[in-house]
Amino acid sequence: MNSHSQSGRHDGSNEQVRLPSPTPWPILLAVGITLIAGGLVSSGIVSIVGALIAVAACVGWFRQVLPRERHGSVDVVPHDIVIASSRRKVARMEAPQAPTRARLPLEIYPISAGIKGGLAGGVAMALMAMFYGIVSHRSIWYPINLLGAVVYAHIQVTDQQMEVFHLDLLLVAIALHVTTCVLVGLLYGTLLPMLPKRPILLGGLFAPLVWTGLLHSILNIVDPVLNQHIDWLWFLASQIAFGLVAGMEVVRQVRIPTWQYPFSVRAGVESPGMMGEEDSHR
Amino acid sequence: MATDSIAIPLPRTASRSVVLDWLCTVDHKKIGIMYIVYALIFLVIMGCEAILMRIQLARPESTFLNAEAFNRLFTMHGTTGIFFVAMPMLFGFGNYFVPLMIGARDMAFPRVNAFSFWMTAFGGILLYASFFSGGSLLHGGSAPAVGWFAYAPLTAPAFSPGHGTDFWILALLVAGVGSIGAGVNFVATVLCMRCPGMTLGKMPLFAWMNLVTGAMVLVAISPLTAAQLMLIGDRFLGSHFFDPAAGGQPVMWMHFFWIFGHPEVYILIIPSFAFISEILPVFSRKAIFGYPAMVAATAGIGFISLGVWAHHMFTVGMPSYGNAFFVLTTMVVAVPTGIKIFNWLATLWGGKIRFATPMLFCIAFLFQFLIGGLTGIMLATAPFDWQLHDSYFVVAHFHYIIVGGILFAIFAAFYYWFPKMTGRMLSETLGKWHFWIMVIGFHLTFDFMHVPGLLGMPRRIYTYQAGRGWGVWNMISSIGVIFQAAAILIFVYNLVHSYFKGALAGNDPWDAWTLEWATTSPPPDYNFDAVPVVRSRRPLWDIKHPEDPDWKYE
Amino acid sequence: MSATPVSVAAEAAEAQPLSRGRVGMWCLIVAESAIFLIFIVAYLFYMGKSLDGPTPREILTVPVITTICLLSSSATMHWATAALRQGKQTAFRLFWFVTFALGAIFLIGTGREWHHFIYQENFTIHTNLFGSTYYSLVGLHATHVAVGLIALGTVLLLALLGKVKQEHSERCEILAMYWHFVDAIWVVVFTVVYGLGR
Repeated sequence: MNSHSQSGRHDGSNEQVRLPSPTPWPILLAVGITLIAGGLVSSGIVSIVGALIAVAACVGWFRQVLPRERHGSVDVVPHDIVIASSRRKVARMEAPQAPTRARLPLEIYPISAGIKGGLAGGVAMALMAMFYGIVSHRSIWYPINLLGAVVYAHIQVTDQQMEVFHLDLLLVAIALHVTTCVLVGLLYGTLLPMLPKRPILLGGLFAPLVWTGLLHSILNIVDPVLNQHIDWLWFLASQIAFGLVAGMEVVRQVRIPTWQYPFSVRAGVESPGMMGEEDSHR
Repeated sequence: MATDSIAIPLPRTASRSVVLDWLCTVDHKKIGIMYIVYALIFLVIMGCEAILMRIQLARPESTFLNAEAFNRLFTMHGTTGIFFVAMPMLFGFGNYFVPLMIGARDMAFPRVNAFSFWMTAFGGILLYASFFSGGSLLHGGSAPAVGWFAYAPLTAPAFSPGHGTDFWILALLVAGVGSIGAGVNFVATVLCMRCPGMTLGKMPLFAWMNLVTGAMVLVAISPLTAAQLMLIGDRFLGSHFFDPAAGGQPVMWMHFFWIFGHPEVYILIIPSFAFISEILPVFSRKAIFGYPAMVAATAGIGFISLGVWAHHMFTVGMPSYGNAFFVLTTMVVAVPTGIKIFNWLATLWGGKIRFATPMLFCIAFLFQFLIGGLTGIMLATAPFDWQLHDSYFVVAHFHYIIVGGILFAIFAAFYYWFPKMTGRMLSETLGKWHFWIMVIGFHLTFDFMHVPGLLGMPRRIYTYQAGRGWGVWNMISSIGVIFQAAAILIFVYNLVHSYFKGALAGNDPWDAWTLEWATTSPPPDYNFDAVPVVRSRRPLWDIKHPEDPDWKYE
Repeated sequence: MSATPVSVAAEAAEAQPLSRGRVGMWCLIVAESAIFLIFIVAYLFYMGKSLDGPTPREILTVPVITTICLLSSSATMHWATAALRQGKQTAFRLFWFVTFALGAIFLIGTGREWHHFIYQENFTIHTNLFGSTYYSLVGLHATHVAVGLIALGTVLLLALLGKVKQEHSERCEILAMYWHFVDAIWVVVFTVVYGLGR
């Protein structure tokens, strides 16, 4: 590594610094190469002269760095360098002691509230649907098969088939039902604190109405089988059962206050300050 | 040490050898100054070419220049501006300040550094030798007249007889070798020469951005070199790369040129970003906002810019997938660029801003670069570009970036670092005159230049008919040039006058925080008496505020 | 270590892990790769687009032996630098010489191929697009081999004079990086010209 320590970093004494010596070879090599190029637009002689210069420069350069790089030593003239600033004062970006502006919502439900609400609402909705199945077709499997049939949308089915137990349809229906209920429950957990007035009314009645209407318009595309067999009144009733139970379950949970400071403050990030020039914050 | 026996004392005091000293130097500071002075000379030359063209275009059906001379002028103006003004200028500042900012004694390869500079220098001289190589000097000798991107098959011997195009090819080839050498040097210097304690995460942004620039030079200039070699083959050896008669495709040249050409724009703008990123914080008295985001955005711009080249070619009839791809990639560049603009604004926000001349140029840069970037996004939309391709709108757009962005950043760098390089301050009064006249001239010329473009005026026409509605706008643009020329004259006078009679600067006139201000002005040959050790991104802040150093927070 | 007020032992002791020679050579390799990439793209793009003959299938013969020579020279180069690092001078000189010889065989092989094309087949860079792309791509690679051989030959000369010592192993390894790059590029050029191109 000897040849690489041109920085003189290891000179403990600080009296002399070794730097590469000045050398004419780089400029001569550049002259040579330029002349070679220039010869193409003037005459061959120029190129030949350029090539000779370039070769000579290469040899000279080579001898300069090998076997050892040539260095010059420079005496260090000690400078008395004072690094100081007249701007001594530092103004800090202060985090406000009390929040000047509330970050809404002030309180939220924990995530578990949404999941609990969703599951509870899902149970209520399933009970309502099975009740409908018994009333209309004397089979609790009828609504379950309807929901599960979403994966067999292209197959024509009879009412008889829809009233008996199918394991695959049951599993599909449970998966769909639980997933959707938990997701909607989470949505409730997030949304209900934002609806401070009458959350049960909004979440339990209004929201099911809205999405029943939405489903009414798109169900033909999503699940044609269900669309053929659906009884919209009963469907709406089961949705409202879900909404009310899920809403009440969520609201029963304990709310937690939200952070009123920005993330950077809570994370303890303190930015380097600004220097005051004439003010006196501190 | 064995080497001491061949040691040559460095400081040569004999006046006879002063010239020799500069020719043979391997000191990064001297090489940096040579780069800068060389670029300044070419800046004046290219400015004169621009003045001639604006005189010609000021009025319709002007006979001030003939078509041939006009073609030569815009070719030389463009080529000079990119390769012999902007690049050497930015390399010069990088050369001078990267080693100082990372606490090194020199660049990684000092001799290669000297070689790179001289290659660039001789490349420029070779290009301008074309003026004197036959033909009437009034008509531009045999200077190249193929435009700075030299589309095939115009460069074929049948369409470009004589040696004009050869001068262009060879000059760029020679200068390109120099640029690649400089790129290698920047990367190796930043990666290998940092002082103790300066991890990559504690480097000044200036060093980071020059690292990215260096890496981009490696992958962007090389394709140009390759394409130039092919063109030499076509012109001298009879190969058929771009020869339609033998099945060659001129579009290949377009691709090869712009694979170089677009990253080149970022090779120029990223060092300008580097200037802004160092100067803005010092005059806002705040640390740069979002350092990691700035680094990531720089690397992101560097990376994305390699995949946008064909947005210069929407009108050649690429497949729609190709158009869509290059529209999208081009627009994606706006994301990291936007991050930078917002970070600079956030750096200003809440700061104790000092409106010294460097800061004025930085602020003008922010506005002008933003507008230039926005017209760039307009032109990145392929259908819009079909309408305005090769019009004066495009000319106005890229001059907004190159003059309003890069040149303003370079002026900011001059006013900021001149004290370090010479030990004397540039005059603030003249600086403010320079700034305001330059701003007026710039906006007169280039704001109004958008309009004839929208009205359908194509670029590179040497004159136009009266009654097309372009005359007024061209006249306003040309009047703006008077102001710009006056501003440059003030600037040059300021440089010369302040060099001899300016106020003494001291080591740290701006109360700044990076390592170059921790040594004398100008620095000694060896840069630092003792190699510094740093603990934060603002080593001088730590020393100036021992009770509240930065490293507590980083 | 220089004494500076803010020096902290733990951070100051941080080593500089990168050798600037290696970084520089890597940068050069990146730049050279970009140049080769453009020539390879041109070759691939113009493949089969020549307006008249001869076609690659008609005249190209796969240079098996020279390719084996060039690729095995990477192995001998590796052994040479390893030997120098361990201070085994004789092994170093032997392997370095073998490397040089294998490279020279490759270059001679390319020269014979070209001579055959130009004088027997009357196939030059001017003939068609295939000629343009073939001579430029293979010629670019041969130029790199030639430059490498000049460097290798210089080191060989110095080694025979006994001037290459163990302390120079770093520099020899950097030169070896270049040589390995030239070999690796040949794999690509070979695949493109003698594989895909035929």
